[in-house]
Amino acid sequence: MDKNMTPINKVSFQDKMRSYAKHPGSLILLILVILAAVITVVTLLFLVGYILISGVPYLKPSLFSIEYNSENVSMLPAIINTVEMVVIALVLSVPFGVGAAIYLVEYAKKGNKLVEVVRLTAETLTGIPSIIYGLFGMLFFNIALHWRYSMMSGAATLAIMVLPTIMRTTEEALLCVPDSFREGSFGLGAGKLRTIFKIVLPAAIPGILSGIILSIGRIVGETAALIYTAGTVTGVAGLMDSGRTLAIHMYVLSNEGLHKNEANATAVVLLLVVLLINGLSSLVAKRFEAVK
Amino acid sequence: MRTREKIMEYVFLLAAVISIVAVALICVFLFANGIPAMHKIGFADFLTGTDWKPGNDKYGIFPMILGSIYVTGGALVIGVPIGVLMSVFMARFCPAKLYKILKPVVNLLAGIPSIVYGFFGLIVLVPFIREHFDSNGQSILCAAILLGIMILPTIIGASEPTIRAVEQSYYEGALALGATHERSVFTVVVPAAKSGILAAIILGVGRALGETMAVMMVVGNQPRVPDSILQGVRTLTTNIVMEMGYATDLHREALIATGVVLFVFILIINLCFSAIKRSGKE
Amino acid sequence: MLTPVIDGEANRNYMEECKMKKKVMCMLLTGVLAAGMLTGCGSDAETSDAANNTTDAAADNTADTAADSEAADTADAPAENGNFDTASSIAVYSREDGSGTRGAFIELFGIEEKDASGEKVDNTTVEAIITNSTDVMLTSVAGDTYAIGYVSLGSLNDTVKAAKIDGAEATVENIKSGTYTIARPFNIATNGEVSDAAQDFINYIMSAEGQAVITENGYIGDDAAAAFTSNGAEGKVVVGGSSSVSPVMEKLIEAYKAVNANVEIELQTSDSTTGMTGAADGTLDIGMASRELKDSETEAGLTATKIAMDGIAVIVNLDNPTEDLSSEAVKSIFTGETTTWDAVQ
Repeated sequence: MDKNMTPINKVSFQDKMRSYAKHPGSLILLILVILAAVITVVTLLFLVGYILISGVPYLKPSLFSIEYNSENVSMLPAIINTVEMVVIALVLSVPFGVGAAIYLVEYAKKGNKLVEVVRLTAETLTGIPSIIYGLFGMLFFNIALHWRYSMMSGAATLAIMVLPTIMRTTEEALLCVPDSFREGSFGLGAGKLRTIFKIVLPAAIPGILSGIILSIGRIVGETAALIYTAGTVTGVAGLMDSGRTLAIHMYVLSNEGLHKNEANATAVVLLLVVLLINGLSSLVAKRFEAVK
Repeated sequence: MRTREKIMEYVFLLAAVISIVAVALICVFLFANGIPAMHKIGFADFLTGTDWKPGNDKYGIFPMILGSIYVTGGALVIGVPIGVLMSVFMARFCPAKLYKILKPVVNLLAGIPSIVYGFFGLIVLVPFIREHFDSNGQSILCAAILLGIMILPTIIGASEPTIRAVEQSYYEGALALGATHERSVFTVVVPAAKSGILAAIILGVGRALGETMAVMMVVGNQPRVPDSILQGVRTLTTNIVMEMGYATDLHREALIATGVVLFVFILIINLCFSAIKRSGKE
Repeated sequence: MLTPVIDGEANRNYMEECKMKKKVMCMLLTGVLAAGMLTGCGSDAETSDAANNTTDAAADNTADTAADSEAADTADAPAENGNFDTASSIAVYSREDGSGTRGAFIELFGIEEKDASGEKVDNTTVEAIITNSTDVMLTSVAGDTYAIGYVSLGSLNDTVKAAKIDGAEATVENIKSGTYTIARPFNIATNGEVSDAAQDFINYIMSAEGQAVITENGYIGDDAAAAFTSNGAEGKVVVGGSSSVSPVMEKLIEAYKAVNANVEIELQTSDSTTGMTGAADGTLDIGMASRELKDSETEAGLTATKIAMDGIAVIVNLDNPTEDLSSEAVKSIFTGETTTWDAVQ
């Protein structure tokens, strides 16, 4: 990274200015590029600042009480449901995602047509908007499988949604494991399966983790795919009951128009969760770099 | 031992096939529910009709198709220059220390849930446009600005690595020929990363086209062909979310059919994306 | 961790900020207008020149203009109305097709009319901004000076102003007495025989206690209902449907729990149609609808029970001097025949 940054020859500030005077086009480009960076950063600061200012004053301890009722629209049940949703969705998607990545990297032969198709469909899944997932989840899980509005149906929909993310990150992580690891293991007489589970997968864990964290972020923030699959019931939900996650909680609160301040406070909590997830993922990424 | 190896290989194969199955299921269920409705309404009436009056069985989604295209186009006009320039800045201009700050900034932008963006748009952008333009605020312009912001991290995240990945020797060669740093970057490095940047933009198109909750709050949702960017429109996605809850019978099927149209758009975009990515690799 | 301490004074929520901004804008605008008038109703160029020169004088002139405009307005509107430009076009806000509130609204105001072939046509102007949320409706009308919209009486708050319709104010009393006619029923629907638990809950809703909960929450209940006696049932009841009914249903469920804790009630908020479909196919024990049942729904075996009435308030911006609207005026605004505020009077 550093080698891109440091100029090849040292140039003094005056020289630089002189060069810009000679090449005004370059100066304009420089200004544009910096402007773009400033716009991006300012936009984010404005957004985050706005969310905090409008939400923090309404963060009360009572919003975290276990019981939701119409007087106190507690977000704790929604938080519990969110955690539940994340866990079920990951339990459903991680084995398949990791398994698929293992097949693509360790088993499939180069130029395999199936691999091409799997890649193409995974890319397709990445590109499908969440509203389409919502429609599909409603048609398939809720209606065709008679799961009605349930956490299960929402989690299954989200599992499909995050599957390509997990697949891709795991695949990248597996590819990063040097072949010498595998050869060493084979050389010691281990079978393929043993090599994969004892040698390759442990080395790839940070990569897989970063995929999982990315997926958690996506699940936490999702609304459109969940309104028509998991529903909006307020309590702590069982597997086959309908329940609302934090993002849905915020959507419903704001829709009724009666609890705007609480909706703002929910936005703050959502933002904090996103910050936490981002922090975790960069931590894991750092670990990953160290391992490499 | 051997059989166990063989069995596990099939287990992994099965896992790999899941994504194919998922896409197939999505296609089957959407098309099976949407196509009959389109047939009932008439394909031409459905796609090119300009009247959307579910109460009178008039289902023309032409205004929504146009709306989606306008809003996405607007988002690109705003998001692409900023996004691409920002990724150039991050890859080739900013010092390593600043990069450590900028990267989390972009990640945070990507992580903010769309419902939060929607609120921000409704409460900050809409009044702003209402006061500074001759408009109600809820307009194509507003949705385009909001989506422009929302696709920034998508574009930056995908194009920054490709710009960074361009061979250092290209850049050095240009410098050696006497070009300034900016000139080397923009005439040599960026063109070399062209296909990656294009792929990033297409990803952005997909995101903008598919965004629902945020757009719904700021776009006005009028089902008619707009005359100016200061008027509101309804997009394909908002059409589904707005009315899905209430719809019955043919109305509901027409909404699923709207989803099918959106799905087809997205499939086309995905295919373009894959094609460009592949051509970039060769 | 964030400290969850709140300072009431520090709560500068966005509405107030907006209002502040608007006030400043108002001041400037009125100043500019006044300056224009003072220089002697010249051409546009002149006016803008004058505006540039007399920004300082603006503050002084504001009071005068405000007073003028107050005299001009029929009602005793607040001083801020100085910049309400009646020639401005009306921003019409409506709910989405299929919404119970919209259905009742267009029917009550005759916006829905039968065409030549006898088919009912919703004539709401296509220029109307559509939202599927009460909150977006309230926020939009509160922020848009020239807006008009409608919400359920129970959701009405003081960020907007409810217009009188044909001279009658939108209040619970007026709906009861029949002077304010813009009201719709809240219905619950069941399919055939219901479980003891569901029946017990329905009995509760229709009892004096249940109806009192409804009245407390700004809806119109039946004052003459009999007192409640539980049949002691146990079990689980799933209630679902209209998001307009669900806030009051939530209160009813909480109140009912205090009486009979053996029945567990699950509330599923979606919309009227989903509620009716759910009740018909048995996924819901009780469906909620914020409108009358359609023929197709009664044919599916549903029987409706009216649990309350809810008024619909026609809302305008606080800066809007309009206090009273005739129902014809509302109709012509929402069908797009009247497009400016000065044409309303």
